[in-house]
Amino acid sequence: MNRLRFIAKRLLAAAVIVIFLIAAMFLLEHMSKLDPAHAYLGAGASSQAVAAERIKLGLNRPILVQFVDYLGHVLTGNFGISYRTRNPVFSDIKEYLPNTIELAVFSLILAVLLGLLLGLASTLKIRGFRLIQFILISGASTPVFLLAYLGILIFYAKLHILPASGMTSYQSYPTGPTGMLLVDSLLHLDFGLFFNSLQYIILPGLSLAIVPALSIGRVLRGSLLTTMRQDFIRTARSKGLNESRVFLRHALRNSIGPALSMIGLQAGLLLASDVVVEQIFSWPGVGYYIAQSIPVGDFPAISGVTIFFGIFYVLINTLVDIGQQLADPRIRT
Amino acid sequence: MTNSSTTINTPIALTSSSSVFSKVAQRFKMLLITRKSLVVGVSIIATITILCFFAPMLAPYNPLQPVGTPFSPPFHSFLFGSDSIGRDELSRVLAGMKSSWFSALEVIASGVIIGGSVGLIAGSSRGFLDNLLMRITDAFLSLPGPILAIAVVAALGPSLTHTLIAVSVVWWPFYARIVRGEINAQMSRPHVEAARLSGAGRTRLMIFHLLPGAIPAIVVTASLDVGNLILTLAGLSFLGLGAPAPAPELGAMAARNLPYLLQDWWTSVMPAIGIFILAFLSNVCGDLIRAGLEEL
Repeated sequence: MNRLRFIAKRLLAAAVIVIFLIAAMFLLEHMSKLDPAHAYLGAGASSQAVAAERIKLGLNRPILVQFVDYLGHVLTGNFGISYRTRNPVFSDIKEYLPNTIELAVFSLILAVLLGLLLGLASTLKIRGFRLIQFILISGASTPVFLLAYLGILIFYAKLHILPASGMTSYQSYPTGPTGMLLVDSLLHLDFGLFFNSLQYIILPGLSLAIVPALSIGRVLRGSLLTTMRQDFIRTARSKGLNESRVFLRHALRNSIGPALSMIGLQAGLLLASDVVVEQIFSWPGVGYYIAQSIPVGDFPAISGVTIFFGIFYVLINTLVDIGQQLADPRIRT
Repeated sequence: MTNSSTTINTPIALTSSSSVFSKVAQRFKMLLITRKSLVVGVSIIATITILCFFAPMLAPYNPLQPVGTPFSPPFHSFLFGSDSIGRDELSRVLAGMKSSWFSALEVIASGVIIGGSVGLIAGSSRGFLDNLLMRITDAFLSLPGPILAIAVVAALGPSLTHTLIAVSVVWWPFYARIVRGEINAQMSRPHVEAARLSGAGRTRLMIFHLLPGAIPAIVVTASLDVGNLILTLAGLSFLGLGAPAPAPELGAMAARNLPYLLQDWWTSVMPAIGIFILAFLSNVCGDLIRAGLEEL
């Protein structure tokens, strides 16, 4: 019962935050100097046409009425029309989203694997762990575009082994149920396409993964060092267990928690660097869409993506919270 | 109360300035012995600040004017090479480092001031006000800050000032949370109770008895945060949310020279390295300062 109440409370809080976000976007749109009526009609529109468009868009009504209207629209998936593509923002996002999910999931998996590896290697005091520590701190200071540039210069320009732009060199490919190229090509048993698009995802995925991997590694190292000093580790050792068993079975299992919550936190940073990486690699995802919208001030597109990313982020962190509570009831929030 | 404080103050006011200096020097010597890494960390940060402040004077050329042939490679006529219209890359990177560094410091300062006040007020007042302030803080914290900042700048129109405002808007809640936690822990300490019993009012309690205890945590958080902030600001600048075209901004330079990456790599890589240097140094200093404050 207590658990159900906790989950309900968390979900309610998440809903309130999403509405807060939508309200913020609404206020921003009103603060924006760009008049939507002008934006839709273009610079040469007559003042009568603009006035008519304002009435059509409902901009002459009281602000509270407009807000309730806006809230209803957003919650039913109507994010407005993009100034740039002239399509509904929602259908634009729906088209680009699978590619972003594919890239984000790929780099998150890479980040977790690399982070585990780094965390273990730097705790085990293997030779050269000072070097690993240096890599950790310098990686945490590298802007994501520097990583991307170095990747392009080394693996594309110098070694010619990885492509640096787009998602695949195939002109036509099966459009499957998920919209994610890697998953769809597997579902259609098209392995040529699968390996082709795998090559294309490596550079953007790696550039995105390195920074979160380093912070996961750092957190894991910290909690592992604390765990290794605990009494039960001494007990396990004095029981005669060998070191690798003590480490993997006893220490690692008890120190993975903070690293897990770090992954939830990293999701937010991942979204921001995703925009930069998609722009560099011309990866046709939501980040690319918002990056293209920024220079032209396409606010409906930007606010639509912000709400989308916001909901996604709130959801992930709510799930991480609930998961941690269920896994370890000692955690009281 | 007032009487006793004047009697304490008088001898200090009467001492000659030379002995005050020697006292300060002594304190500094103690600090140097007991908290070496703190002193080292703070002095590196101070050095970067001073160097960045004078960076435009150290630059060999005007960062906005073409001074040589376009796309001259590094280590030939220019140390960092020249860009697409023949401006000296080194001068531009130096000017960009100045703007990056001071932008980061400004956002940190506003985060500490806004977040610190919110945390202080929330932590020292139980009940409704605490709840309200912390719920607002939580709402901000549970949204992806950099993405929210993009939307704010897009609405206000791209400029460096607007970017700083937008990032400050999403940056303070982090500090509010930490300060509030510290203040809350202080509230139950005996010295606060003693101060309250001796008749200290709320403002006095907050400023003289609660705030000092939170300062180490604020310093550690802020110093570890500078690197993060430099990277976030560089990312926004990369996306075109910063000062408009000719201004030397590192992120924007890296983005605008992307088309020349494969032939003339230095035009886009050098600005990115400038960001790396700043972020790396401030991360190292953050670790040193944290170690220094946790040593005792």
